[in-house]
Amino acid sequence: MALADMTRPAAASVEARLTYTDGTSRTVYATEVEVPFPEGRLIVSRTDLNGIITHANDAFVEMSGYAREELIGAPHHILRHPDMPKIAFKGLWDDIAAGKKWHGYVKNLRKDGAYYWVYATAVPNIRNGQIVGYTSVRRKPSRTRINELIPVYAQWLAEEKAAS
Amino acid sequence: MTLNFLIAPDFAPERFAGWHMLNTVLQRRSGLGLHLITPASAAEQSSLLAEGKVDLIYANPFDATDMIRQQGYLPFARPAKRYDEMVIATGSDAAPRQVEDLKPGCRIALTDNKDVKLIGLRLLEPADITESLVQWVPVDSYQAAARLAIKGEVDAAFFLADAFASLTRMTRSQLHVLVESRISDISHVVLAHPRMAAELPRIQEALLGLGKEAGDADVLDALGLPAGFEAMTHEEAEFMIDLMDTLLD
Repeated sequence: MALADMTRPAAASVEARLTYTDGTSRTVYATEVEVPFPEGRLIVSRTDLNGIITHANDAFVEMSGYAREELIGAPHHILRHPDMPKIAFKGLWDDIAAGKKWHGYVKNLRKDGAYYWVYATAVPNIRNGQIVGYTSVRRKPSRTRINELIPVYAQWLAEEKAAS
Repeated sequence: MTLNFLIAPDFAPERFAGWHMLNTVLQRRSGLGLHLITPASAAEQSSLLAEGKVDLIYANPFDATDMIRQQGYLPFARPAKRYDEMVIATGSDAAPRQVEDLKPGCRIALTDNKDVKLIGLRLLEPADITESLVQWVPVDSYQAAARLAIKGEVDAAFFLADAFASLTRMTRSQLHVLVESRISDISHVVLAHPRMAAELPRIQEALLGLGKEAGDADVLDALGLPAGFEAMTHEEAEFMIDLMDTLLD
């Protein structure tokens, strides 16, 4: 499913063209505005086997900036931030498709171009021995760990751009 | 035929009468004999389950995981609008004002409550504190945890949110909440042993019908569950278990 290009936000932003694993692409805008992770909450979503969002809790909806109706049925990469290198997600789909748990620190993009950092965990939903979908839960991350990862992700992203 | 109905031992002592009132109402409305069992500890609950004596159980969500997935227990109800949340608090005069102010090596008081500890550990992550970096101070009650925090003998204490709310106003005024979870997806569940499948509809109807008749509000108030119970499907229970799985590490 191809996502529509983002609307350019009023705040100063950087434009980027993202191409996703399903081959679709869209133009996104990222601002320098960080939205703090809501205290005490978890951001929860479920997807089908193709990464299409089937469930989003209230925290997910609020933090994404999208309406619930815009999220349900959309691909999970609707939250993909242009600062995230592909390699940071390496193993995600391989791990959960193999029935394993995946963890990672992720910078997510909101509808308004702002961002929020999360510590994400994804698990397969196994019913009667079959994987029927995936659950992802995001919690408040360690700021120390994020500050360590920001230059690492920037370097990986630069290497990916240089190689493409 | 009398069924054994076990109540997980993590309810507040003042709810004891409420569970007996509920048991009486359920017996009358379902036409089934129910024997209420209230083990005093998690260990006692485990041995009763291992002996195969439990037909119905109001279970802690973390215990329910194994019962549903490994033992085939059937989830059918949960408290309506009542979730298992936790609070991390410190003495009102203590230095920490937020979780990030806690340091590795800090002393934290906690009761023998697995879900409170697990959720609390996740809430400590923004402070770069893992389980092995805490000096745990086991206590027998939430009141004891509060006392240690107020006296400054621990840096913080973990509370079940309901238990924190039921502390006296005086006690709460001497505590400062660093963070309270607002997960809204994890709750206790009511399960039936698979051998009870035939009787389950009668019990479920009686339980979910609570709140519709005169006097029901007294029972629910005594339980501390004013909104009563709501139906829970097997898939809803599985979803909750998947969510808890993400919190294990």
